[in-house]
This record gives sequence, C-alpha cells and structure tokens, in this order.
Amino acid sequence: MSEAAAEARTDSPALIAEEVLGFQRNMARRGIIFSFTGYISEGILKALGDALRQKIRLESTDNKTVNRVFSVFVEQVQNIIRYSAERIEHDDEPPVELSSGMITVGSENGRFFVICGNVIGRKDADVLAGRLRELAAMDSAELRRFYKEKLREPPDEGSKGGSIGLIEIARRASEPIQFDFQHISDAQSYFVLKAYI
Amino acid sequence: MAVVESIQHEATDRTPAVLFDFGAGQYRLSGESYPEDAANFYGPLTLGLRQALEDRVSDEVEFTVEMIYFNSSTAKALMNMFQILEDAAESGVGVRINWCYHEDDETMEEFGEDFSEDFVHADYRMCPQS
Repeated sequence: MSEAAAEARTDSPALIAEEVLGFQRNMARRGIIFSFTGYISEGILKALGDALRQKIRLESTDNKTVNRVFSVFVEQVQNIIRYSAERIEHDDEPPVELSSGMITVGSENGRFFVICGNVIGRKDADVLAGRLRELAAMDSAELRRFYKEKLREPPDEGSKGGSIGLIEIARRASEPIQFDFQHISDAQSYFVLKAYI
Repeated sequence: MAVVESIQHEATDRTPAVLFDFGAGQYRLSGESYPEDAANFYGPLTLGLRQALEDRVSDEVEFTVEMIYFNSSTAKALMNMFQILEDAAESGVGVRINWCYHEDDETMEEFGEDFSEDFVHADYRMCPQS
C-alpha cells in the first residue's frame, strides 16, 4: 500500500472522530450525563435507570437526591412510553410496543436535571399545558395534597395515570417544572419538560 | 366458599416481593415497584384481596408494606387496596396495616402519613426502621 493511500484511509475516520468527539464534548459542556433519543421501551427504561443510579451514587450523592432523580426519570420515561404520538405497535408474540422520544439527565451548578421531549397530539397539548400551569402555581404542601386527591379519584377514561405522574415529578423537583411546546404540524406538537432536582 | 390460593412472587428489579396468604390473613409487599404495567401486576392481587375479604376467609387481616421506592401507578394500586381494607374494617374485619420505611426516608414517611388519613376503622401503624 502506498503512503498516500494509507494516509487517506486514516484521514477519513479521523474526520468522523472529530465530529463525534465534538458532539460528545458539546454534551459534556452542558453537563449531560446521558441522553437517549429514539424508540424507548420498558427494557431501555430499566437499563438507563440502573446506569443512572450507579452513576449518581458514585458521585456520593445522598440517597434522598438519588431517589428523587430516579423517580423523576421513571415518571418522565413512562410518560414518553405511554403518551408519545410517535409509536410502533405490533401484535407479535411478545407484542412490540415502542414509543419515540428523548430523555436527558445532567447536572448544572450542583443540581441534577431531567429533560424529556416527545411528539403529542396538538389537542392534547392544550390540556397538558393547563395541567402543568396548575402544578407550577402550587407549593410543596399543595402538591402533596393534590397528589393525594388524585389518588382517591377513579381513573379518567383513557388515562393511564399520567396526571399523577406529573404531580410526582413536580413534588420531587426543587423548583417549578419548566415546559414548552413547539407546534410541528396541524395535528402535532413537540412537548418538552425539564425538572431540576 | 371458594378457597383462595395464596399468591407469592419473588422480588424482581422492578416489582416487590409479594406474599398474600389469604387463608392466614397475612399480606406483605416489600421492595421496589415500577412495573411495566402496574394494572397487570397489581390487578390479580387487588382482586384476590377483595375476594378474600368479601368471603371473610379470615376474621383478622395484617397487611404490611415495606417499600423502598414506588412509582405513581403503584401508588394508585396501593390506594385501591387500602380502600378495600378500610371498607372491610368498617364492616367488622380486624384490619391492621403496617407501613414500614427506613427512618431516614422522608419520601416513604410522607407517603405513609398521607395514606393513613384515609383509615378510620383499620388500625394503621407507621413503622420506622433503622
């Protein structure tokens, strides 16, 4: 092999490495511990959840914080799995059920944050925004009472328990949870939620 | 009266150890709970509990919860079972609930206090453990 050819071969992967390293460094600069984008299953929830607990325990974070971060993570991922409008269902055996979304965990100025993003129906966005505004206005005692009230109620038709999940996230967060919507079509919106713990 | 067989599950990473001995009136849930499908996991337990109490399989019931972590769907399932237990206590069954938690675990302590509010007839006890 000529010297020039060998150089060309090492050059091409080097470009990819530069791009990927740049991407990873950009994530690290933002304090991101991990970020997952794509189809999420319960198996992925379990695997990421284990990795998350191990990682933040290693940072000698107190148990209370580990549990809070984990709880917010579980509720956010289960919300994606249950409510993402981008999903694949297949009646295979065992049945295939995958929902698309993004979940990111990181830390910033000594506080952890958990972000999730997924596509939802545009009509659902208004209902969700109303619920989240209601939660954002509550203090911790009010959230505690509201959670209890929701537990007593019989489940809504068609609800898979998501409203209690949002209250759980708000209770474990150290400040009101941030949320935003981006309309992406007449029928769909992209929903983002960020909670600091 | 149909004899209800007891239900026993080993703990998994995502589901608690379960011992529902209907004949003896002894019930215990311990570990972590964030199942893939809470209705699927807790449905048979809730049905069995309801049936055993309706049939008065035992006059006394002891229900022990010893959880480290549970998600919101599990909280809903626990609430359903607690409502069944309180109703049974109201109709004369001797019901005792033990809410066990690590003494440093404020989250589980708060949950225990919140659940206790709904019990009037059952004997509900907070059991901090070191």
